Amino acid sequence: MPIHIFIAILTFCMMSSAVIAQTSLKLPETVKVDPAALNSEPPCDPKIAPAWREAQEIEGIKIEASPGCSPDNPAWIAAAVKGTNNISMDTLMKTGLSPDAILLSDDLDGDGDPDRIVIKLEIMELNGKSPDFPGVLPTFDIAPGIQPGAWVFAPKTSGMSTENFESVRANPLLRLPSPVIRVEQGDIVQIVLENTHYFPHSIHLHGVDHPFSHGEHGGQDGVPQTSEVELMPGERRIYQFQARQPGTMFYHCHVQTHTHLAMGLAGMIVIEENRPNNWLQTLNIGGGHVRHPSVAVKEKFDQEYDLHYHAMDKELSGIIQKYNDPRLIAREMNQRYDITDSTEDYFTLNGLSFPYTLRESLIIVEPDQKIKLRLLNSGGELIAVHTHGHHATITHYDGVEHNPVAQIMRDVFDMAPAQRLDLTLDTTNDGKHSYGEGDWLIHDHREKGITTNGMAEGGSMSSIVYKSYLNGSGMPKVSHFGIDLREYFTKEYYERRFPVWQDLDEAGSLGSPAGQSGFDAATQASLLNSLYGLIIGLLIYLIIAKRQQIKQSAMGIFSRSKSQKGSANNG
Amino acid sequence: MAKATMITFLLAGIFAISSNAMAQEKAKPDEHDHSSHSASQASDPAKDPAGDHVHDHSDHSDHSDHSEHDMSHDHSVDHSEHSTSTESAEHGDGHHHHHMDHDHIMDHEGTMIMGQNLDKLPSSCKSISEEVEITVRAGRKYAAKFPGTIFAFDQQQWNVKPCSKVTWHFINEDNVRHQFMMHGLPKYLYKYGMFHLEVTGPKTVSGTIIVPGSDDTFLVHCDISHHMEKGMKAQLVVGKGAENIPSIPGVTPYNINDTYEAEDLPKVSDKAGQNAVVRQITTAFATNNSQNYLMMLIGALVGLVLIPLIRKIPLRKKSD
Repeated sequence: MPIHIFIAILTFCMMSSAVIAQTSLKLPETVKVDPAALNSEPPCDPKIAPAWREAQEIEGIKIEASPGCSPDNPAWIAAAVKGTNNISMDTLMKTGLSPDAILLSDDLDGDGDPDRIVIKLEIMELNGKSPDFPGVLPTFDIAPGIQPGAWVFAPKTSGMSTENFESVRANPLLRLPSPVIRVEQGDIVQIVLENTHYFPHSIHLHGVDHPFSHGEHGGQDGVPQTSEVELMPGERRIYQFQARQPGTMFYHCHVQTHTHLAMGLAGMIVIEENRPNNWLQTLNIGGGHVRHPSVAVKEKFDQEYDLHYHAMDKELSGIIQKYNDPRLIAREMNQRYDITDSTEDYFTLNGLSFPYTLRESLIIVEPDQKIKLRLLNSGGELIAVHTHGHHATITHYDGVEHNPVAQIMRDVFDMAPAQRLDLTLDTTNDGKHSYGEGDWLIHDHREKGITTNGMAEGGSMSSIVYKSYLNGSGMPKVSHFGIDLREYFTKEYYERRFPVWQDLDEAGSLGSPAGQSGFDAATQASLLNSLYGLIIGLLIYLIIAKRQQIKQSAMGIFSRSKSQKGSANNG
Repeated sequence: MAKATMITFLLAGIFAISSNAMAQEKAKPDEHDHSSHSASQASDPAKDPAGDHVHDHSDHSDHSDHSEHDMSHDHSVDHSEHSTSTESAEHGDGHHHHHMDHDHIMDHEGTMIMGQNLDKLPSSCKSISEEVEITVRAGRKYAAKFPGTIFAFDQQQWNVKPCSKVTWHFINEDNVRHQFMMHGLPKYLYKYGMFHLEVTGPKTVSGTIIVPGSDDTFLVHCDISHHMEKGMKAQLVVGKGAENIPSIPGVTPYNINDTYEAEDLPKVSDKAGQNAVVRQITTAFATNNSQNYLMMLIGALVGLVLIPLIRKIPLRKKSD
């Protein structure tokens, strides 16, 4: 009887191993992610009114057309040009700015524009931890689902920090990057820092002609080791200057600079050349297209763009999402975070990463134009910005004009940390300045610069796009090439959950494989081996347990054969 | 066997209850504070009496004494019951903004009153039960008594009777903006259910509301990014109140707590009080500290092992 069972087990094992061997001949199927399973966002933010794109005049201020999908709020521009003190309450209410955010007055030199400028900045936290619910607020996405903790200088606002009382999304004025400031050469400028943040901060005016110390306001180089003490939470400080030289400059917090700068407390400040009737766009919120350029810029250029490149480390930006207690945040940032061991993970252009750069940081051009580009690198490493399809001319380094005879054309622009470059982009189709119309990429050619936390396509890449390549909603027209950008507008893409190449062909030959239905080869082999071991063990057990029977049967066989032999002999 | 099954069931029951409780705990913080103001009329009235902060001063002397601040922002905007216009001193540049509609009053410096209600009775009230004036001070200095906060109001809770007419004098003592923002009020009287005072300090702004006739608790906070999270949060308790608002410094616990571990900070005792001899001894111990202790430990262990051997020696002699 046991022999029968044993044989049955043996046959079952042989059969099952044969079946397993058979299935391992076929590899798993490709599984495609259904677009319906993704959290898709519309490529163009529907919250922004298309009417904002048009050329218009508000409060007597001419605002250039900006055909991109998310142009600046025209009311912001009117307020920035005339000052919040010189516009109607109606316009002011459309800005969300505090009535004392930008105060322009006193035409001191009698040339038709205000020369006394007061700009009030607050410091706001984005994507910080809440003790009330497991999430961050106020939220600001640099790319779909990407919410790094950040701090920004923000124009002084009025009312709530969020869009409304039901939302956790930040008020549109509270955003990365810190706003671009524009003042005129010779203006008496006061930048009033109202420290609304829970940490001490300061402002250092990098490259701007400013006195080290001001009689009324004290030291004002922003450095707690040389010129002034840290500005504590709830306190106000005035930085006053009258710049003698124009140029593209830089302002940033100089308290614990190695962390505060990367957290976002860094912005561009432009000193424009003095001209009559030069009403400047004092703030370019969010950077990008300057829709009310200065008189000097309009003399030479058709358009102007502010391009602020920045980089953030997720380990650093994560600290304010890990702790709520300011003492713990301070300890983690000041004593434990080690910048020498850090790596940058998020690369932004005007505060956003691809694909959001397509919404508001496109350089939208037409043939035969001259465009002024002002670039700032506020990241911690050298960057190398490449303009596809164009060679641009470097006219200024760090705000100072390069010898006009010696100015050079390049297609890769290397920028050290804190460096500024002024470029002239000429869209004349001559094979050198421009190769013709198209949707030409502009990106940091360190390849990590086109990733978001290592996930391509992301980072600071954007486009120099000709109007003929722009669709009705202000996004680059690429569908006629069979290109679909929708997958980038999902948070799953940046969560690394979307197989990047799944839709390249019908078969999905480079899509995502399903898991194996049975076991993988290694598990199969080891399972089979253990099965064989089990069988051998059983065999040995049977031999030992039934040795009496075996002996007897062996003896029986033996004696039978012997007796057969015997009988044969007998017979 | 029966015992075992009973224990299993008991364990399962406990697990179910505890996981349920955990789920509730998780669900609670999900409601954001702005909207979480659940209308539940649960008991748990707030006990902390704050009656002494409700004073009846008519002279407003509290908010006219900011002469120590050199900023020229020292004019108070008063919107108590008899006035709906903004009074403010001249600003240097002579530019004025006076935005006024029913819900929203703002001056040229951004001093703001929103959702003021001077005369509309809530449907749950037949008449105004009492008229009170409450002074609220806001600033960094009031956070000093709550470790782990940076901004705070001087009080974290105010108690008023149902149907009372409350005039708030909000004194911002910092040099930045602060807000006194109340949520959850009846929406037919208050736009978005909000009453909101905002002012850049040092300066005062006043506004009036009429609270509903039923027991309730209202969130009061400053909505400037992370001012509430870093301490500027309080509650207004009407009558017996309703459910407490979480994470109010000194009043209610946080929904989500940080984890704390003490640092190895240098101490004076590490250094002081050491005379030459003591220092010599301690330095002798301090050098190769761990090695010393290890050798001592080994010695002690050897001693312990040797005890039975030593005790055996005389025994053997005897038996010999």
